[in-house]
Amino acid sequence: MAIKETLQTTQTTQAGESAETSSAAAPEAAEITAGDNDTAQKINIEKFSPRQLMELDACTRCGECSNWCPAYDQDKREPLTPRGRAARFKDLVTRQHGVFNADSLLGRLLGKKPVSAQEMQDFAKDLYACSTCMQCHFVCPVLIDTVELWERIRECIVDGGYGPLETQKDLVLKTKNYDNPWGQPRSSRARWGKMAKKKKRIKEVPKDISKQKAEVLYYVGCTASYDNNVEEVGINTTNILDHAGIDFGILGNKEKCCGSVLLRMGDRASFERICSENIEQFNALGIKTLVTSCAGCLKTIREDYAKVGELRFDVKHTLEYIVDLIKEGKLKLINNVNLKVTYHDPCHLGRHAGCFDAPRELLSLIPGVEFIEMERNRENSRCCGAGGGLKSGYPDMQNQISQRRVADALATGATELVSACPFCYQGLQVGIQAMNAPIKMRDITELVCMALGDAPTTEEDLKE
Amino acid sequence: MYLYFEATAALYTLTVITAVFLVAGVLCSVILWKKGKAKSLHHKPNISAIIKAFILEVVLQVQILKISFVRWLMHFCIFIGFMGLLAQTTVMAMMSHFLPQDSVVAQTFFQGAGSRVLDVWGDLFGVMLLFGLTIAIVRRYIVRVEQLETILKDSLSLIFLTLITVTGFLSEAFRLMDPQYASVAWYSFAGYPLTQLLQAIGFGAMNYKVWVWIHTIISMFFLGFIPFSKAWHVFVSPIEIVLDASERA
Ligand code: SF4
Ligand code: SF4
Repeated sequence: MAIKETLQTTQTTQAGESAETSSAAAPEAAEITAGDNDTAQKINIEKFSPRQLMELDACTRCGECSNWCPAYDQDKREPLTPRGRAARFKDLVTRQHGVFNADSLLGRLLGKKPVSAQEMQDFAKDLYACSTCMQCHFVCPVLIDTVELWERIRECIVDGGYGPLETQKDLVLKTKNYDNPWGQPRSSRARWGKMAKKKKRIKEVPKDISKQKAEVLYYVGCTASYDNNVEEVGINTTNILDHAGIDFGILGNKEKCCGSVLLRMGDRASFERICSENIEQFNALGIKTLVTSCAGCLKTIREDYAKVGELRFDVKHTLEYIVDLIKEGKLKLINNVNLKVTYHDPCHLGRHAGCFDAPRELLSLIPGVEFIEMERNRENSRCCGAGGGLKSGYPDMQNQISQRRVADALATGATELVSACPFCYQGLQVGIQAMNAPIKMRDITELVCMALGDAPTTEEDLKE
Repeated sequence: MYLYFEATAALYTLTVITAVFLVAGVLCSVILWKKGKAKSLHHKPNISAIIKAFILEVVLQVQILKISFVRWLMHFCIFIGFMGLLAQTTVMAMMSHFLPQDSVVAQTFFQGAGSRVLDVWGDLFGVMLLFGLTIAIVRRYIVRVEQLETILKDSLSLIFLTLITVTGFLSEAFRLMDPQYASVAWYSFAGYPLTQLLQAIGFGAMNYKVWVWIHTIISMFFLGFIPFSKAWHVFVSPIEIVLDASERA
């Protein structure tokens, strides 16, 4: 799982408790402990590409992004808009590195002031009020690569000691120390499989791919591995792959976080370490395909890993893989699933990875499903607010954003809110519970399992 | 040889000052950009994607059209109008300086039918610019569209562009009061009605070159100020648009 900041719950918690726990961490807790000096540390401008620095000049100040940004929607302050963020960062960077910077004679004559530590801290707080949903890129007439820019700025903010926010630091530390953002022991990473087998939810625990070769690696991710509330994702995926007769395996306790949380928070050095280790491990397995159920892991491995090293295998989201299996005739969806569903595009699967058609195609292949689009869908799908560290940094804001999305879903009249990411699952649950909304959150694999003839995980099983 | 306005030492001086500011401004930006050392592109440039994006997104601005027709009309008119006038001025300046006076091209454009082309060209793009600016001013200051946050930078660019357009039309209108242009006045399809309007409300002929000078000084100031202003995006945004298209292709 990619951005899994707020799971401070234990293995036994329920989704609702998880939501409450994270909501209790108020934004006031987001204190930054940078140096006390009045003058801020210099931003390491070399970390940016010339294009990214140029992007700061490319903004037309049209404000379209502010119409769509989920964070600004909740807190109408200009510094939260992509326009405001770019302008503010341009000001900071010019005062430190511009030709007429605050240290130069001309800069001083022009009245340029050195950047203060306080300014940098204030900037950092607003910088992290962003779910990295990428909506701003899609509506920007200039198509500024906003999220890449925000993440690069976060990296410099982290280098300077101004970020991440206090409530987010814990996740980064835990990811570095435990290879998962929730500080769970490595030895219990594969426990979900053993428990599912014990409860007869799966036929067999998937084989350990590091011991027995397989063509497909099912990369479970941290959320599906550790959070009981979304364990269905791992169970359903296992059943689907088994049902299709796929030769697959998991890494079990040797699986590590994909590092997305590190990258999104701005700790690129740690991300690159974990990324390189993972690439080496994956490549050594000799797999043809890596399948993951998490949108964040998919984006990170498929897009971000590819910028660090060579991947000698395909990376697919479970639902893309399932669609392929259906087309190849390896999976037959035969049971009627008479549910009225709407689909939430996870930002990291849709806008980030361009996967919009496959989920809709899959839903259309499930017999009996009545699918209704939300008004905001595909490229303009409203974010659930859980990503980019927003849920841990600004839990109240995330809660409000999630409620907005749940309201979108309720407006369709659907009884099921389907998505394809364990982290969105958690994020949307927050809204459902806060509103006590009459809609059920489901992962798309759950519907596929219901439609499979002999899958152990049927609706009845789930009720039990 | 020149069309309507002779190049004097003062004009040359003004041009040089403008050029110095323009180049210095561009350099300031480029020097800052070049301090970034990370890779700008992760893939080989995709030429067909670049061309497609240039036509659809830079010239036709389809992305804005998808959002709002009014905004598209505004932006398209300002962008194309500004670029058209910049091109007209550049062509005229180049021809005045580099063409031999007795060449056919010079004769055609400064005395013959070519000058009519320049008249129509200037009015067409001038009207576009003025129309776009009117929408921009109404949206920003009268309707006060919520998504627009107005700071000095936004206002300055609008003020400059409006002054340039208005003084441009006034110079033309006063020039056309001179009877020597009577037979060709209607080629200035926007400037000439303004001439008639001004005459109708009592303005008599005056030395139009005063207006041309005002227009020139404001225009030059704006040109030199572009890299430090909001208008800088006119040159930078297209680069980002085509690079993004290439990277995502
Ligand atoms: S990525 Fe999303 S939350 Fe962040 S600034 Fe853009 S629209 Fe707002
Ligand atoms: S949509 Fe793009 S160009 Fe417009 S204000 Fe936002 S970042 Fe700037």
